[in-house]
Amino acid sequence: MQIDCTTGRSVLLFPEGIVELNETAQEILTRCDGRALGEIARALAEEYEVDLATLAIDVREILADLQRRKLVEIS
Amino acid sequence: MTAPRPYALLAELTYRCPLHCPYCSNPTRARNDGDLTTDEWRRVLREATELGVLQVGFSGGEPLVRHDLAELVRGAREAKLYTNLITSGVGLHESRASELREVGLDSVQLSFQSDDVDLADEIAGTRAHQRKLAAASFIRAAGIPLSLNFVIHRRNIDRLPQMIGLAEALGAERVELANVQFYGWAFLNRAALLPTREQVTRARVVATAAKARLAGKIDIFYVPPDYYETRPKPCLNGWGQRYLTVNPIGDVLPCPTASSAIPDLRLENVRGRSLDWIWRRSESFNRFRGTEWMPEPCRSCPQKEIDFGGCRCQAALLTGNAANTDPVCSLSPNRARVDTVSRDLNLSSAATSDWMLRVNPSKDAAALINQGEALS
Repeated sequence: MQIDCTTGRSVLLFPEGIVELNETAQEILTRCDGRALGEIARALAEEYEVDLATLAIDVREILADLQRRKLVEIS
Repeated sequence: MTAPRPYALLAELTYRCPLHCPYCSNPTRARNDGDLTTDEWRRVLREATELGVLQVGFSGGEPLVRHDLAELVRGAREAKLYTNLITSGVGLHESRASELREVGLDSVQLSFQSDDVDLADEIAGTRAHQRKLAAASFIRAAGIPLSLNFVIHRRNIDRLPQMIGLAEALGAERVELANVQFYGWAFLNRAALLPTREQVTRARVVATAAKARLAGKIDIFYVPPDYYETRPKPCLNGWGQRYLTVNPIGDVLPCPTASSAIPDLRLENVRGRSLDWIWRRSESFNRFRGTEWMPEPCRSCPQKEIDFGGCRCQAALLTGNAANTDPVCSLSPNRARVDTVSRDLNLSSAATSDWMLRVNPSKDAAALINQGEALS
């Protein structure tokens, strides 16, 4: 993950491609450090005071999408 | 008009290559002298970053031919660029792979001609396949993410399942299965390379099924041959919108094939101008930028912001005028020029036609090219 200096947004780069991250994806990815998906969702839900169930779905969907593009590894 | 910001630079470090593939993207008439120096490339990489570029692809020719490749990767990383090496793998020994990783190389796209050694070496015009297999293991051992790139054409398209199997066996993260696009050497060899409609239909099914089966394991990217499509590809996502190419002698191109396909395009050189000036101000980058240049049927077409009128090089090669609608579009008055090629092929069930292997730039090249034109 790096910052696009032209836009200030976080991006993921891969061969011949780029994914621009929205705020949610960026917040999730900065917490991908070996933690379980559930823990990431809980941390974010507490921090932003949002519904855990909804957020857990977002976390799974965003990471599954990035996994399909081979940009994250979920073990 | 105001220029957008570019995302990616293709750095063609040299036209030299140990392989002779008949669809080579090198220009058919290339100069073989006056390549940019290490310092000149480093300046180009810095200027690219300042312009907004986020990623550089080191390509060629064969970029490993340049002994300063690691220096250039280091320079790109210092300029905060994501670095991708696009290579045949020939010349990539174990120590060189780890050296490239140490200086920060982010990714390698390794080309394969086939999964089958005999066919692969026939296409490459040299014994390269075994060396590519070795290169793949060195890349993986160095911890560099590996992509396999296959150029697909009539002679290898039926082996798609085996080629995907090779990618699985080699531990690739991505596979690009790109049907050959007809520019440069591939344009000269069209009659031998274009797959039949039946082959293309089967290949699409195979690629779609493999993509689903390998989801999460390998990302598969299939590029269909546009001669069988009815709408043109959104080439480059629009001329002068996202990409720029610098060739071995420092000419800056909106598209890597433009120097061959559009000979009257006046190219600027990094030795004479800054990359910023060339991107924003040059005639070559502004010529087909936006939609103002478009003729009918593009001008009044609701698709014009979707496919951008297709490919300028293809329009030039097939109609003689780069400003025409890409003749792949079924609305183009020149569509018959595409149909003639595929009709001739699909009628002759034998479908055997010889190709001409690429030759390195030299005095003899011109003679061979004339022979190629007579064949096509």
